[in-house]
Amino acid sequence: MDKSTNKYLISALLVGVIFHGTSIFFTLESTYDALIHLFFGNHYANNWFEPWNYSWYTGFTVMGYPPLVHQSIGLLSYIGGLKFGLFTVAIIGIILFITGIYRFALVLTSNRNVAGYTAIFAVFSSTFIETLHVFGQLPSIIGLSILLHALPEIYLWIKVGKYKYLVNALSLLAVTVTSHHVTPIFGMVFFIFPLIGMIIMDASREQVNSYKEVRFLLFFKTFLSLFKRIVSFGLGSLLLIIICILPYWINTKNNPITQVPIPHGSRDNFFEVTSSGLVFFLIPWGILLFILPYVWYRFYSKRYLFFGLSFTLLTILGTGGTTPIPRMMLGENAFNILTLDRFTLWASIMALPIFGEFGYRFIEGDLKKSIQDRYGGVYRRILGGLFMGTFVFIVFFTMSLGYFRPFQPQKIKMLPILNFLQQDQHDHWRYLPLGFGDQMAWLSAQTNAMTVDGNYHSARRLPELTTRAVERLENSKFRGVEGIGSLQQFLTVPEKYNLKYVFSNDKFYDPILYFCGWQRLRQLENGIMVWEKLNVPPLSSILPKEDVPMFQKLMWGLIPVGTVLFAFIINIQLIWIHGLKSKQKSFPVYFKFGIPYEGFHKGILKISHLWGGVMIIVFGIGFYKLYIKNAKQISPVNVTESYYDALDFKEFERAYSYLDPSSDKTKDQFMLEIAVTDGLLSSYAKLDEIKVNITDKTDSTAKVKALTSWITPLEKIDKTFYHELVKKNKKWFVKPSLYDLDIPPDQLFVENTAEYHNHGRRRISSEQTYHEDVLKQPVLEVLSAKIVTYEGRHVIIGELQNIDNVPADVVITGTLYENDILLARYNAKHQMKHKLMPKETTSFRVNFEGIAWVDQKERKPETFNPDEFTPMDFEDKPNTFDLQCAGNVATVDLYKGVAINELSVQKDHVEGVLFNSGLQEVTIPLLLISYYDENKELIWVDHQYLPEGIRPQRKQYFDYRFLNLSEIEKGENNLKNVFVNGLSNTVISDKVVPERKYDHQFASMIPVDGKGFSYIKLEINTYIGAPK
Amino acid sequence: MKVKLRHITPLLIVLVLCISIAFTAVLEKTEEVSAALITKKTMFNAGSIIMLKFKLNIPSETQLFVHSSYGSTVINPDTHQGSQFTIPSFIANKKGIVTYTLFYQSKILTQGEIQITSNETTQIYLESYIGPPSIIAGGKDYTMHVVVPTDAYDNPLPDSTAIVMKHQFLETEKERIIYSKDMIGWTNIFSYNPSGRLLLFSKVNKKVSKEFSVDVFPALPENFQIRSKRKHMYADGNQITQFITSEIKDEYDNVISDGTLVDFVIKDTKGVMLHTQGSTINGQAIAKMLHPDKKETWEVKAYVQGMAESNTLSITYTQVLEDFNVQFNNNNREIIIGPLQSFMEQLIPDGAMVRMDIFKEQKKIDTKIKTTSEGIVRFLLQEGFYPSGSYDIQIKALGVQKEYKKTILQ
Repeated sequence: MDKSTNKYLISALLVGVIFHGTSIFFTLESTYDALIHLFFGNHYANNWFEPWNYSWYTGFTVMGYPPLVHQSIGLLSYIGGLKFGLFTVAIIGIILFITGIYRFALVLTSNRNVAGYTAIFAVFSSTFIETLHVFGQLPSIIGLSILLHALPEIYLWIKVGKYKYLVNALSLLAVTVTSHHVTPIFGMVFFIFPLIGMIIMDASREQVNSYKEVRFLLFFKTFLSLFKRIVSFGLGSLLLIIICILPYWINTKNNPITQVPIPHGSRDNFFEVTSSGLVFFLIPWGILLFILPYVWYRFYSKRYLFFGLSFTLLTILGTGGTTPIPRMMLGENAFNILTLDRFTLWASIMALPIFGEFGYRFIEGDLKKSIQDRYGGVYRRILGGLFMGTFVFIVFFTMSLGYFRPFQPQKIKMLPILNFLQQDQHDHWRYLPLGFGDQMAWLSAQTNAMTVDGNYHSARRLPELTTRAVERLENSKFRGVEGIGSLQQFLTVPEKYNLKYVFSNDKFYDPILYFCGWQRLRQLENGIMVWEKLNVPPLSSILPKEDVPMFQKLMWGLIPVGTVLFAFIINIQLIWIHGLKSKQKSFPVYFKFGIPYEGFHKGILKISHLWGGVMIIVFGIGFYKLYIKNAKQISPVNVTESYYDALDFKEFERAYSYLDPSSDKTKDQFMLEIAVTDGLLSSYAKLDEIKVNITDKTDSTAKVKALTSWITPLEKIDKTFYHELVKKNKKWFVKPSLYDLDIPPDQLFVENTAEYHNHGRRRISSEQTYHEDVLKQPVLEVLSAKIVTYEGRHVIIGELQNIDNVPADVVITGTLYENDILLARYNAKHQMKHKLMPKETTSFRVNFEGIAWVDQKERKPETFNPDEFTPMDFEDKPNTFDLQCAGNVATVDLYKGVAINELSVQKDHVEGVLFNSGLQEVTIPLLLISYYDENKELIWVDHQYLPEGIRPQRKQYFDYRFLNLSEIEKGENNLKNVFVNGLSNTVISDKVVPERKYDHQFASMIPVDGKGFSYIKLEINTYIGAPK
Repeated sequence: MKVKLRHITPLLIVLVLCISIAFTAVLEKTEEVSAALITKKTMFNAGSIIMLKFKLNIPSETQLFVHSSYGSTVINPDTHQGSQFTIPSFIANKKGIVTYTLFYQSKILTQGEIQITSNETTQIYLESYIGPPSIIAGGKDYTMHVVVPTDAYDNPLPDSTAIVMKHQFLETEKERIIYSKDMIGWTNIFSYNPSGRLLLFSKVNKKVSKEFSVDVFPALPENFQIRSKRKHMYADGNQITQFITSEIKDEYDNVISDGTLVDFVIKDTKGVMLHTQGSTINGQAIAKMLHPDKKETWEVKAYVQGMAESNTLSITYTQVLEDFNVQFNNNNREIIIGPLQSFMEQLIPDGAMVRMDIFKEQKKIDTKIKTTSEGIVRFLLQEGFYPSGSYDIQIKALGVQKEYKKTILQ
């Protein structure tokens, strides 16, 4: 045998490091996980021995994830910064992976050429590319690579029995354990057990002449003879798994993961969710799909039998929710916690040596000969070309996945945000990034400021987060009701978390921020909008933390790096010298068991051809279906769906192309009409579902009814549109719909408005704000307040007036008591006007929102509804309440230009026209509806968002359906425990407005003959998306 | 008996012995260290160097424990085995009583106290506060001015220090002398009837404070008048009517604060309350409403909620048209309404609302609303939604209603 340096391995390493090493600079930072590891790396760089991290989730422990990779990034960051650390670790991972797979292939096939082919194929295997360049799972890669390195040593220990090998094997396993916890545990099951099986098989084989003669009895006897070594290795590795990351296990026991399962694509049914099927099945398998019969055939030969079983198991588990088997095998609990993509990863990695073997046989082995003899040389070359072509295509496709369908928002320049947080003590409060994607981890790594959000959901402690299947608050819009619901809780009661600043990179969240009482501060140079909330106290200087004993901190800080040093010292010559050029006199024992590649099994060749044909047909059907689904104008339904899809993605040119070309609507006109529409539906809604029904159809015309449902940050909107369609040149087109023809009376008009500016600090000083620069809190007066019970919910409703001479930002906190026992505390959310001009009044309602689905048994709603409300569970009925109202001088969002121009009260609803008389374009109007009983006492407050905005001097129609309040339990008006800015409301009332004219409140009440009420009052709050 | 030398000698020896024993005994007693304060002064000015000198019978290593309201410390003598101690400046700079205890090997030698008083010879500093920074006119509301005169070391000056407090408001300038008590001097300044800005400062000896300002806001608004302003009297649903308040003032004739919100409640002929609002600038609020699109009389009344109200204004809009054409085409499936003509027979401006209610068997099945373009509105009753049959159609535009019963759609 050739003992020279393996040229295949050298080329694989060279190509691998150059290919992956250069491309990670363009991919790694926008992967899902890399920046999280970077954040952890930063933690270790600053606090090596302190596991508590304050940056995320109001504090969490980093002992929830094995530290080796993070600590390595931290260590390397001392040389060239965090990103240097990240990329260096990634490159080390690439080298380890290529050498690891080489050694694994060597053990498995006992052929250096095959192992060399495997190494080259591994470099370009789609599963590795995806794991590195799309997912960025560095610990997983490093853990797996080291495990692969350990396999030959394990083989040699059990086979030969020299303690040297045991030490080698265990030292490598220790590194695996400290870099990724799941890999060694499952690695034991899926890699080491089959390996042991293979060793026993080999040992049995030595006693007879061929594998065929190995029978169960012999196998069992050999097993018994090797039993001691197996057990000693097993115990040793078990001990390592426990000891090396002991603090992790202790932490897991003390802080069990209370997080409810978060949906993950790998658990989807891949036929239903084709995108998951692509990412978690098709891509990782890639080219391997075509040679599956060969892989199965080889793995089910006697020597590899146990690998065959393991491979089968992994393949099945990797199919996620497509079949019920994985769920049955893992059990409901494990199925919902584990991400199943790792099984596919392992399966495809396990198959790589066989793929290498296939490649070797095809390119220079017996398969080449076999095909040439049967079908001729040309056919083989074409086949080879096809294989190469597919292989290259899959590599290109996987690498460019992130380019064509970005998983992350555009790269955000962090510097302006970091500067903002450092200025003026802004880091004394917590912040919340919205729409940052995984880049939030990069922001956290660079600043001292803390956020309530975080990117490692297993470590969360706040019940508001753990009870919801939300990855991050930051991307809550992708998680429907739970996401927006979670976010709303943080935005409504920010005082609880000392949350004062929100960095919004996604306009989608703006309305919810506004209606929760937040205000825009300014736009940073990088386009990020900063929102702030008034009346939030700064963080205390001492924050709580959960301490762990010193021995755990020492273990955590020292063992992982220790394992690397140890493994490095005793394995260095094995990894490098053994791998590249063997100086050993003889080859390792496993070299004896290679099979000669003579005579390719003809049946397999046939089956493979058949299988290849089937695969091509399956792919063909898939592509055809995709084409039909995506062919935009092939049917009325398609074109309507495409039209709404284009509108949804704001691709207006595309939308225009679906309009009837013979209609008189020009593209300019269409674009203009689009440009002037604003509002909840057109600017903040995401199309959730569309169902197109054909109501009538002839050969060339059709009428459709499009039932659309839109998700907005505030609520779900269902709207039905009707369209007429025509068919021209075999293509269907939508007839353009009408637009608002209204012509406002004034071409140019002028309006005087009162505007405000608060200097904040008049002196530029880093000290505390000067006493005289602090404005007095505006005085408010609560006019009425009471507890009301409606449909089982207890709420506090009332009316409040800003009786000061300056505009006020109002925060209302209500607390319910039952015999002096505090039951619940919450703030008024959107059922009030948060910004009041001097002497303006608002009705308000404080809902007591519970944390959704604390009770696991409760069934979660399947559909998305951001307006979903979880009432707090009360054991006792509250009988008293208090109300703390705080005013702060407001200077923005004071637009009051919308009038109720027309009203028509019907039996069960009221319809009317709003008129925007002012200068600002109102993006989202909110109607506040107060209900009164026959004594003109307030009994309920309701709200309705209008889906369309109102431009200046324009009208907007609304229609509000009355509630049935006949079941309502009215409460007594009680102002005893009402406080404004910490002072008693009664005292303020007596002093500031002693002669209040109460009948003014009745003036705007509209008599209605309603169910349980006699009057209503309408108020309007307006969100302005782009203030002039 | 004759005293002989040989008798005396032993006696002398005994005596000498006795004395020497006695002497050594006495000497041993005087070995014990004792101390007394030499420094006579027990009152010091803050900031001066305070040295306490003790007299020690035997030079020895003593330490002085000093305690004041600012903390305690143990200090060593200025020189080795010396008996003079300098009180550290952080204590010496602060007014108050300082107790000291002299130790020798944890034995208390002597103790006592000295008093440090504020240093009036230094420059005087004024620590002043004012609050609230805004009050309401009318003499009921007040702001409080607090001054703490201190020496250069931030020690309050002794009680009864004279403080001159001055304030200016419009043409008034007032000065008052108060005497500090319990370290502070304070005064309440009540608002005057006019609104404006109060400027204040204080002065002790020659030291003056910086300027403080307090805003005096107007008091609650009083009742006011409203009027309307419009381009014409027609109910064309297009022009805008303004409702304008008189200059709203408080009871002291101050124009109320800019930004005060005035609610205009409009009662229409049906008795429904419409609503518009405006915030005041220089006391005047302007609110706008779109003209109604049918004959209408509005009763308008404005309020500053709970505080002031206006007269009731009645304003009438005349109908712009008496009748309009309706044309049925295409088997009654196309209905063209108009041209709608306004009061001078001109086409109504685009955007006038035309509403069509469609009834089938006395039940409303649909309402279609469209706005006019060049005076015309065209409704299409598509076959998909309106199967052939008999429908009742009701058309409303600009206050005119027309009914077409039993319209047959094919």
